[in-house]
Amino acid sequence: MPKVDFKLWDLERIAGKSFHIDELTHIVTTLKGEIEEVSGDTIVFEASHDRPDLFSVEGLARAVGVFVGSRDLIRYSVEDSGTYLDVSEAPRYRPYAFMAIVENLRLDDEAVSQIFQLQEKLHATYCRDRASVSIGLYDLDKVKPPFRYVAVKNATYVPLGYSHKMSLDEVLKETEKGMTYAHLVKPGEYPIIIDSEDHIFSFPPILNDELSRVTVDTKRVVIDVTGVEPYLMMKVLNVITTSVAERSPKPVIKLVSIKGLEKNGYSKTPDLNGKLVSFKVDDVESLLGFNPLENNGVTLLKKMGYVVKELANDVVTVWVPPFRVDVLNHVDVIEDLAIAYGYNNIIPEILPPTHFGKRYDIERFSDIVREVLVGLGLQEIMNFMLIDPEILKSIVKDKGFVSLANPKMKIYSSVRNSLIPSIMLAVKTNLEKRKNFEIFEIGDIVEIPYEGSVTYVRSLSYALVGENYTLTDALVILKSLMSYLGVNYKLVKDKEEFLIEGRSARIVVNNDVQVGVVGEVKPEVLTSLNIYTPVTVCELNLKKLYDSITASNTPS
Amino acid sequence: MSDMKVVLPPRLFKIAKVVLKSVNGMYVNELAEQLGVKESDIMRDLAELEAKGMVKLERVLKYVVKLSALGRKYLSVGLPEERVLSYLIKERKVHINKLKEVLELNDEEVSAALGLLRRYRIVSISEGFVECLKCDEVKDFLEHVEKVRNAMIKYGGNVVLDVIPDDVQVLKRRRVFEVDELKVIKVLPTEALLKLETLGLIVEANVVTKLTSDMLVSGSWRNVILKEFDLSIDVPEKPIKKKHPYVQFMNYVKEVLIGMGFEEVKGPFLETALWNFDVLFVPQYHPARRVSDVFYVSNVSLNVAEVDVLNKVKEIHENSWRYSWSVEEALKTVLRTHTTPVSMRTIYAKKGGEYRVFSFDRVFRPDTPDPTHLMEFHQLEGIIVGKSVTFKHLLGFFKEFARYLGMSDVKFKPAYFPFTEPSVEGFVKHPKIGWVEVFPGGMFRPEVTEAVGLPPEYKVAAWGIGIDRLAMIVLGLDDIRDLYTHDLDVINSLKLPEVMIKHA
Repeated sequence: MPKVDFKLWDLERIAGKSFHIDELTHIVTTLKGEIEEVSGDTIVFEASHDRPDLFSVEGLARAVGVFVGSRDLIRYSVEDSGTYLDVSEAPRYRPYAFMAIVENLRLDDEAVSQIFQLQEKLHATYCRDRASVSIGLYDLDKVKPPFRYVAVKNATYVPLGYSHKMSLDEVLKETEKGMTYAHLVKPGEYPIIIDSEDHIFSFPPILNDELSRVTVDTKRVVIDVTGVEPYLMMKVLNVITTSVAERSPKPVIKLVSIKGLEKNGYSKTPDLNGKLVSFKVDDVESLLGFNPLENNGVTLLKKMGYVVKELANDVVTVWVPPFRVDVLNHVDVIEDLAIAYGYNNIIPEILPPTHFGKRYDIERFSDIVREVLVGLGLQEIMNFMLIDPEILKSIVKDKGFVSLANPKMKIYSSVRNSLIPSIMLAVKTNLEKRKNFEIFEIGDIVEIPYEGSVTYVRSLSYALVGENYTLTDALVILKSLMSYLGVNYKLVKDKEEFLIEGRSARIVVNNDVQVGVVGEVKPEVLTSLNIYTPVTVCELNLKKLYDSITASNTPS
Repeated sequence: MSDMKVVLPPRLFKIAKVVLKSVNGMYVNELAEQLGVKESDIMRDLAELEAKGMVKLERVLKYVVKLSALGRKYLSVGLPEERVLSYLIKERKVHINKLKEVLELNDEEVSAALGLLRRYRIVSISEGFVECLKCDEVKDFLEHVEKVRNAMIKYGGNVVLDVIPDDVQVLKRRRVFEVDELKVIKVLPTEALLKLETLGLIVEANVVTKLTSDMLVSGSWRNVILKEFDLSIDVPEKPIKKKHPYVQFMNYVKEVLIGMGFEEVKGPFLETALWNFDVLFVPQYHPARRVSDVFYVSNVSLNVAEVDVLNKVKEIHENSWRYSWSVEEALKTVLRTHTTPVSMRTIYAKKGGEYRVFSFDRVFRPDTPDPTHLMEFHQLEGIIVGKSVTFKHLLGFFKEFARYLGMSDVKFKPAYFPFTEPSVEGFVKHPKIGWVEVFPGGMFRPEVTEAVGLPPEYKVAAWGIGIDRLAMIVLGLDDIRDLYTHDLDVINSLKLPEVMIKHA
């Protein structure tokens, strides 16, 4: 969630009211945000990811002011700039570019830093770190329209923050931004924006130029968005344009024509029409369970920044301002209605159940097995499903397992394909404090029976640890469990890689279904795990066991 | 009643028999000596006999006299008066200071000695000089010395006396004797005991430490006394073999949910991004899908049988978010980051209807383990599906569920999740910790229910609780790693939480 710094006085001058911090803390919950920190007059606000219009103080102050009624939405004066941005020679891998002009600005240091903060927060979130969208702002008095967005092999300009001309290649190699974002451009097909006097004022998505930098003296800005996702770009352009407009006593927004690319659907930008959302009053009631429109619906909607166009008995129509890019349809408006009403003013209601509840079969069966093993004196333990692949390989050598592409730690970089490696970890931990113990685990494992396929298995494993235990003790537990569950099973001699030959067996039911293994762990396996006490283990596939029981009980 | 036998345990019986021998009573130490036991061993028995009205215990004050270190010195080197006299016999006249110096006596000893010699008119004292008057006629004085010596010998070694004799009193003042008070108990048989004895009604019982089957069969249990246990003696504790504490908590929570009409469901740990994200209306550029937030699986590709979902999701994403939706991105294999895909799969399978399901299972996110984070944890997820399910009912469910976990104060805050609208974050108030954020939920967006083919007249209230946090609070743990412990010491140390006993 983006964290936004701002000054309280700056918010107050845009919102048109002064606030106690407690009041502000309460109001921002209606915007799904939180006041994170207050130090002096600097406040850190954590915005909700879906509200990019609140990623700087302008939008936040606008929302807060409208909520308390200290100000209204700006009625933007939108004019045609008479100029254009030509994108017909744009790079094919980053084909889109839009522009907006905002005039009559009054900027100060705080305003300039907020605008750049907004740009930075949008880049980091919505713009996918500039991969989808890149934003630039320039002083319109330092550039000469019309503009062109073109791909070039190379060129030179003075990058922002530098005092000398550099080639585009140099910018990529030598500047911090260049190194960070070089992967977003193709060598020899660099995107630039130039004005009518061939002044290169931007190298998107890398770095703007120094000469057109926005300062406290800037009165008119031109904003560009370039990238690969036109709809997202338009949302971003709307958010930044309307935010910048808050820095004017009487903002004038000018549309720029886009020439040369038809299929993106925008011929003039920005698109500040906003949209109309209509819904039935019944929709409100069927979603919320009550109707907050009944008493003061218009006020509630107005507080949340909507303009109510129609509020009849059965239909509501609201105008959604262009910066509310999070509002997709009626459910978003209805949520705002509920928020304005106050979640804590809603009377919760219990919906009586229509059916009996029940547990999942295997979970229920697992709990029965658990009770048997506890009754036999074993203690249940628990382990993670994520495990060190080395441990898996040292025990169950030939079985495939799921590997992570981006593990955080090697010891948790694969998914266990057996419970025995897990239980051996527990054996190791507990041997530090005791010499004899009996433990079990019931949990899920993920097997790869053949390449590309996975099977989820509910498994049981128990371990008898200490010098006095042999295979017999493990077989006693097995027999007791199976007999209680009414399962006939056979022990079949087998070579299991990690078990001592002649002191281990496969467990088979219904003649040929293998449900598990039991045996004494090989000394070389124990010592490879730094375990110096004999361990006898058993693992049972509870899913197969359950199936064998339920299948045999099904009347044919 | 009086002719009834009195059955006494052996020790009481033996004590009674000894006490009966001395009608005038005996001291406890004598009694103990005769019984061959320590005094402290019979005190409780005596109290018991007194309570039965069989003996009378008299508390008596006695004195223990013994020679002090000074007394022992006098006994070996002679009393100061003796030594002063023998010196004077030699010197006839001597200054008091000289006397002190030569005989190494202090003021007190010299004045006591001279006082005595003067009383027997043996010496005179003037201007600090002591002079013999009749140092050769000292018969009376020697008698006195003899008497003192005898007393010192007689009372020299820890003699117990009822009263302190005069000569002892005098010598006590001269610090020759030390006298301690001693409280002793005298044991006397009561009339009742004497009478019982005369009638031969006192019987010795056989005390056994445990009841046996033989006793029950033979009836001999009537003649035995089962040894009383000393409840003050502590016994060791036994580690209880039990289900894992987290499993116990899970079962408790499941019981609550089943009581509320929920059916448990399970779903796959490995998911396609399609089910983990796309179906839930999370756009492919959303930060929750970054490699820093999701474990991607490198060696498994899953088949997506649900082509209808795939197509619908593409359409919904492209219409709503208007970006180029990538099927490759949707088909990436992930370890599920939440259990919401389980709910989505359930709706996809069941479609419309009135039902409610939950899943309590593991989810995975790239994190480094520490006291508050794990790379693998549990989520409790549930949905209520029906034609008349509303947001108000979601809040009602949460309030009721929190009450069952012993937390009846709840509050709600607006929240954002890509797949629900309205969305809510529920808080519970814990008596010690304060408000804890535990309950994210909301009404599934139409884009989400449409993707899995739920007819539009049905609504879904969905919630997904970070249940580990609640489990830690209920089990009293402050390190999440202890929730997944395989350490028997940790398991044995955990007590059953009160809320799981009393059930709200």
